[in-house]
Amino acid sequence: MSELELRLLALGHELDVPVAPDLAPAVRARLEERPGRPFPWRRAAALALAVLVVAVGVAFAVPQARTAVLRWFHLGGVSVERVESLPPGVERTKAVGLGRPMTRMQAEQLLGFRLALPPLEGNPTVYVLDGSLATVIVRAYGRPILLSQFRSPQVEALKKLAVDKTTIEPVQVDGRPGLWLEGGPHTLTYLSRDLSFRQRTVLIHGNVLVWVREGVTLRLEGKLTRAQALSIGRRI
Amino acid sequence: MHQGIAFRTAYLLSGSAADAEEAAQDGFVKAYRALGRFRRGAPLRPWLLRIVANEARNRRRSALRRERLALRVAVEDRPGDAVPSPEAALLAGEQRELLLAAVERLPEDQRGTVVCRYFLELSEEETANVLRIRRGTVKSRLARGLERLRTEIGEEGP
Repeated sequence: MSELELRLLALGHELDVPVAPDLAPAVRARLEERPGRPFPWRRAAALALAVLVVAVGVAFAVPQARTAVLRWFHLGGVSVERVESLPPGVERTKAVGLGRPMTRMQAEQLLGFRLALPPLEGNPTVYVLDGSLATVIVRAYGRPILLSQFRSPQVEALKKLAVDKTTIEPVQVDGRPGLWLEGGPHTLTYLSRDLSFRQRTVLIHGNVLVWVREGVTLRLEGKLTRAQALSIGRRI
Repeated sequence: MHQGIAFRTAYLLSGSAADAEEAAQDGFVKAYRALGRFRRGAPLRPWLLRIVANEARNRRRSALRRERLALRVAVEDRPGDAVPSPEAALLAGEQRELLLAAVERLPEDQRGTVVCRYFLELSEEETANVLRIRRGTVKSRLARGLERLRTEIGEEGP
């Protein structure tokens, strides 16, 4: 490298560049905009931020960042973290580990919010874990699908770890921002409502759709295609 | 970190903090909406910076029609920096200002390439990606830009 090139490199370090402002609030607000419709859920939904979605990709491009966490995706009360290998997890059959079974009314009293469900026959059993995460098993496209929901807290309550085989992409569910996770096993780690770090890790082999609606984070899990999951999501 | 590099890129290419903030914001929003088209496995940083850089350069073109913008060298005392680094020592005040002014006077295509390569310290390949030009074009623009800078500041060639 010539002397002039070295001087230019040094000059780059000396430039008076203002401190970068926090772009997140403005970017978040713009991503939440839905033309022609009001945003009653806007404050409640702790929607995460494309800045993180994209930007952690910047970290991804840095070789030393590859060794641990590669990418983060935040949405509502969920964070998705891409890692090189998954921690040991417990295989789970659908109804085991979902929590205490109860009626819909009991669950709504315990959770403090009205459950969002697709049209169902009869009274579904609702499984509630740690007083905060409600799950219903619905049948769609001839197979069981897990529909889980919880009020989006200020901090993340669910954490997903995904390896590189998992595709993660932003989607829209009825105009609301969501994430679609497909392929490859990933883990789901729960934190209890009081954030006392009672974690349990289960391995998930199905695909997952996560989105936020009116302050509640919803997730569908099962052997669904993206189109099928979005179709169910729109009917909830 | 991501916000930092995006803002820095936008600022150095546009020369204005306000334009840089808008350009970086627009860049993130556009990048988010275009994520579905992003080729999996491709490096993300140049892709993101390309969008931000494009926004910044568009703003600079508009701004240049109104007024001449210029970057500044930081002259404030830096606490705890009593001993200048070897790099900083190379650039005593006046020389730095001269060099920066010469960079500012470069034709737009050469200036953008010099900014990416030296001020942002992108590789040639990343520079090509960010500016949407071929790597050979990066090399030729840099060669022409450096030659012009040498003439302007009265320095001998390498």
